[in-house]
This record gives sequence, structure tokens and C-alpha cells, in this order.
Amino acid sequence: MTPLHILILEAQVPFVHGGAEILVRELASALETRGHHAQVVSVPFIDAPKDEIFAGAEAWRLLDVTCAGSRAIDVVIATKFPTYFARHPRKVLWLVHQHRAAYELAGTRFSDFSHTPRDVALRRRLIATDTGVLRECVGHFTIARTVSDRMLKYNGIASEALYNPPKLAGRLHGGAYGDYVLTVTRLEHVKRVDLAIDAFQKTTSALRLLIAGDGSIRHDLAEYIERRGLSDRVMLLGRVDDDRLVELYAGCRAVLFAPYEEDYGYVTLEAFLSRKPVITARDSGGTLEFVSDGVNGYVCDPTPPALAAAVDRLGADAALAASLGERGHGVAADITWDNVVERLTEAASATHSGRAAL
Amino acid sequence: MRIVVAEARVPFVRDGAELHVQSLVTELRRRGHDAETVTLPFNGRKDELLDQACAWRMLNLSTSNARPIDAVIATRFPTWFARHPRKIVWLIHQHRAAYELFGTPYSDFTDSEPDTHLRRQIAALDSRMFGECERIVTNSRNTAKRIEQFNGVSARPLYHPPPLAGRLREGAYGDYILIVARLEPLKRIDLVIRAMAHVSSPVRLVVVGDGSQRMELEREAAALDLVHRVTFTGSLWGEPVADLYAGALGVVYAPFDEDYGYVTLESFLAGKPMITTTDAGGPLEFVRDGVNGFVCEPASASLAAAIDRLDTDRKLAERLGGAGRELAQTITWNGVIEQLLG
Repeated sequence: MTPLHILILEAQVPFVHGGAEILVRELASALETRGHHAQVVSVPFIDAPKDEIFAGAEAWRLLDVTCAGSRAIDVVIATKFPTYFARHPRKVLWLVHQHRAAYELAGTRFSDFSHTPRDVALRRRLIATDTGVLRECVGHFTIARTVSDRMLKYNGIASEALYNPPKLAGRLHGGAYGDYVLTVTRLEHVKRVDLAIDAFQKTTSALRLLIAGDGSIRHDLAEYIERRGLSDRVMLLGRVDDDRLVELYAGCRAVLFAPYEEDYGYVTLEAFLSRKPVITARDSGGTLEFVSDGVNGYVCDPTPPALAAAVDRLGADAALAASLGERGHGVAADITWDNVVERLTEAASATHSGRAAL
Repeated sequence: MRIVVAEARVPFVRDGAELHVQSLVTELRRRGHDAETVTLPFNGRKDELLDQACAWRMLNLSTSNARPIDAVIATRFPTWFARHPRKIVWLIHQHRAAYELFGTPYSDFTDSEPDTHLRRQIAALDSRMFGECERIVTNSRNTAKRIEQFNGVSARPLYHPPPLAGRLREGAYGDYILIVARLEPLKRIDLVIRAMAHVSSPVRLVVVGDGSQRMELEREAAALDLVHRVTFTGSLWGEPVADLYAGALGVVYAPFDEDYGYVTLESFLAGKPMITTTDAGGPLEFVRDGVNGFVCEPASASLAAAIDRLDTDRKLAERLGGAGRELAQTITWNGVIEQLLG
């Protein structure tokens, strides 16, 4: 294998730290471990006001990422909108997501794009521009099938889903099936933490809900819990460190994660690696690629009573939780970085040697 | 305050500017600010410069995720092109090839019409961007002088200690002279290697750093029959560098018109005298000939004479180094952030 100089392109949201940021750093270290030279290159992504999103795309288009000083860059790996606007003859796409507010979220309460002529035109223009730029890539991969389906539907481009293990993979372990259900998420509307909270108003078992994570609606959620008189059963833990998180996973009865149309979601895999079942909703997107109803968790209607019923079943039967969680573990253990690195670099080298042959 | 420190960086290259930005973020956080870096890739190619400035201009850093960002601290070209109502510049440098390096072998700008036009355009755009800024300070007197001369901006230097400060310590005055620099033409390592050919004492030269000139410099050392007296360690960071400083007889640093240069202060904090040149720029703000080091003509024979003096008179090395340490210890982070934010 020839070591390659690879840049991983990242859209940074200053002061926000989420899954995509971990993903690109993990990819960089996975590439380095396998002998390549990899670095993350970021440009901040600002999505308000809406017109600024084109400015962000333009910034990527203007930057030259074909070389660094006198050194040629062999491959760039684009991840999120608008990183794929970068220019490079060997641009490989590992898509995290497009600008979701203009895609599948448009028309939902999670998007700032409404049905005005102006917004509709803006969305159309964005999707058309994306399609052109995405076609420039020499390899098309995504982080999950949900994302592949979306790119096929909106941009007409086929791709392969390449799963990667969560960051904590090496450290997660099983433990007691304790008296609480765990949710791990950024506190944002699209994660539908309010739905999980509402479910706990309907549960009859003694299980509590612990919510790890922070975000822009933390304060609202705290009030929401208070108003519903759930303060003794639902707890916001805020951001927790990795050590604590591993133990929270190890000690829970089950993990509840019911976001709207999640792209991928490490939480599912983290739960499984901790041998815990996952309760999710049938419109939760990425979680559904791993969770099979009644096999390693429950796939419910996105309603409080449906989620509550699943919680109560596991609340009444810890042995059931253990057997579902065990089957989840088998699913998650097969997902490795070796495969991701191999497929991404193969795609780049295929064109590389193709060019050399010319 | 929520503060973005804006940085432009060549991927796969680590340099002093990166360390400056990192320590600034650390110090801001230490004082309770929420600070983060925004780093765009930079490519020094002439035909890409305006595009890169334009890319920065595309960025409206007023908010992030619907929350305001209170201030942006720009550091070097083209970070001050970002849009924000409250921009502060802590100048590391402009695009040097289009400024003071023009007309030297270190610039790729010629006096052709397109190059002259581009140079003027860059300086004019920079000046306009500086006009948007709330406050401008510089990392050294040398860079303050440049921004005054080329952009008509009067700015105060704001010194800060080198990132290695906490790890540096004194040690024996050993049998080698140390040089710590990226191996790039502007750092003039070749001049120091050639000086070694003139050194009559048995002292060695240890070169810490890596860069595009590595092979060329190793070949030069071999051609001068200095293989056993010049050691290239490659890139080192942190503790191993502090160790090398601690055991050195002295430090030599002879760049052409350096902006500021951490090496001077690092050398002093390790109690080592500094040998530099009359055209070295930043180091001259600290090095006094015969007081805490030597300021030589930029010629190999003159550098060699200074190295020989240190080797033959170790008491002198110790005395000069001690004076340097006293000076360097007066530069701290105290008050720096306050002066920067105003």
C-alpha cells in the first residue's frame, strides 16, 4: 500500500460538538493507524440567515485543497454539506448528510424552510447545486442506509453505506440491568427528547429516565419536566464525561432513542456494545438499520403510549432485556474501521491508477 | 464572552503561528471565556491568494447555531477578511511575500505588471479590512513597524511568552549549539551550517525541525564534511525540546526578518545565550550584543566567531544566558488578554 496524503473535509459549527465532529477525527486516526497521512480541514458552517448557506458553499469552492505547501494532496474525503463543494480530482464522498433543513426536514417543525415561493426556490436551487457537485466525486459512500436512500431520492445518486463503530467501542461493556432507562443525545428539537419525557408520564413501571447530553433546549426541557410533575422520575444529567457515560450504559435496563429521521446514530451501537436493548420509533431513521422489533429492541409508533408500553415490558422483565441486549451485541460487534478505510481508499486509488494508465 | 480565534494553516505543517493560536485559546479559556479556533486551509500560491481571501469573506461569523459570537480575533492573512461586527487583530503577519519579503529571494512575487498589481491589491484589501477592525495589536515591534509602513496602521506590540515556557529549565552548558526552526529558506539554516565549517572549537550543532529543505541541508552538511558535527533530529515537540534547550551551550537563530520568534525567549528561559544576526527582525527586540548573546553580521565567519567565543568561555555563556533569562521572565500572560479584548 502506498501511503496517501489525505484531507478529511469537515463543516465546523463553532461551539457545537456533536457526532460528526467525532466521526471525522476517528476517521483521521483510523487512516493514520493504517499508515496514511490524514488531517482534518474545517470551514465553519453558518446556516442563519438562510442565504449564508450559499456563502459557506462558495467558501469551500474557493479554497484550493489540491496541495498543501509544496506537497500534493492525493485524496480528499468530503463529509457533510457543504464540504463536497471543494475542488479535487480525487474527491471521495462519505456523506454524513446534506443540509437537512432543505431536504427531508423541509415542511417539518425541525426546518426553517417553509412553503413560501422564496424558500421553495432556495431549496430547489440548493438541491440542484448539490446534485451537480456530488456527481464530481469519484466514489460515493454514506455513513448509513438512511443517508444513501436520501441521496438517491433527492439527488438521484446511488451509493454504498459504510458503517463505522462508535468512539467508545473499545470501552463499552455490559453490566446490571438496573432501574433506569438511558437516553444519550444532544438536546435539540429533532432528537425529540420531549417524546421520551411524555412516554414516562404513561409508564406504570418504576423505571426512571436518565438523559445524558446538553444542547440549546436544555432549559426548555427542564421546565417541561417540571410542568409535567416528572422531576422525580426524569433527570437531565447534562453533558457527562466518557467514563461516566460508559458506566451509565453498563448499568441501564435499556436505551431509549427516538429522534426524527436520525442519519445514523452512534447511540444504537453504543447501547448494543453495552448489551442493552434499544427502544426506538419507526420514523427514527438510522436506528432502524440495526434495531429489529422484538429481536434486539422495540420499534414503536412515535407516540408516548407506544414507547411507554415498550419501557414497561422491559421494566417488568430484566431477563428479557438481557436476551434482547445480547442479540444487539452481535450486530454491533461486526462493524469495524478496517472496512471503512479499505473501501474509501480503494475508491480513490481506483481512479488514481486509472489516471496513471492514461 | 464567546470568542473565535481565526487561523489559516497549511495542512500537514506545524509552525509558531499554530502554537500562538493554541496558547491564546488556552489562556482565554483559563479566564472564563468560551473560545474556539476556526482554521481554514491556506495555500501560499500567488494565484490562489485572492480566492482564499474571498473564502474568508464568505464567512459571516456573527452567530453560530443561532447564538451570537461576541468577538473574532484574527491573526494572519487572510483571517481578517471574515465578517463580524467586532473584529480584533493580533497580528502574526500579513502575506509576507507580498509585503516586506518582496524583492528578496524569499518572495515569489516579481516586478512584473500582474505581480505588482496583485501586491498592491492585497495591501489595499488588507488595509480596508484593518479599517473594519475594532482594535489592532501585533505580536512584536517588528510586525507593528510593518503594518505601519505598508498599511498606515499604528498598532502596539503585545508580547506573550512562548508556549514551551512552562517546561523550560536550565541545565549544563553542554557541547552543542542548538537551532530550533522549520527547515525553510527564510530560516537560513544553511547559513548556520556553513558557519560550522568555520568553527574551530569541537562544539556540535543540533538542528531540531523539519521542512522542505531537509534533504538539501543534510546534503550540504555532508558536502562540508560536517556529518559528525551536525545532527538533524527532525520534528520534536514539548519535553524533548526542553531537554535539548537545557543541555545546550547556546542557541543560534539567524532567520531573515523574523516576525517575533519564540526561539529567542525559549533560549533565554533555558538560561542560554542567543546568537543572531543584524537582519533577523524579531529576535533583535530582545538580544543585546554582549549582554545576553551576540548580534552578528549575517555571514558564516561572523557566526562562527560567536560560537567559538561561547565554547572557549563558558562563564561568559552562563552570564549572557542569565541576563537573557531575567529579560524573558518579564514577559508573561498577565494583562495580555485584557489588553487584547479591551
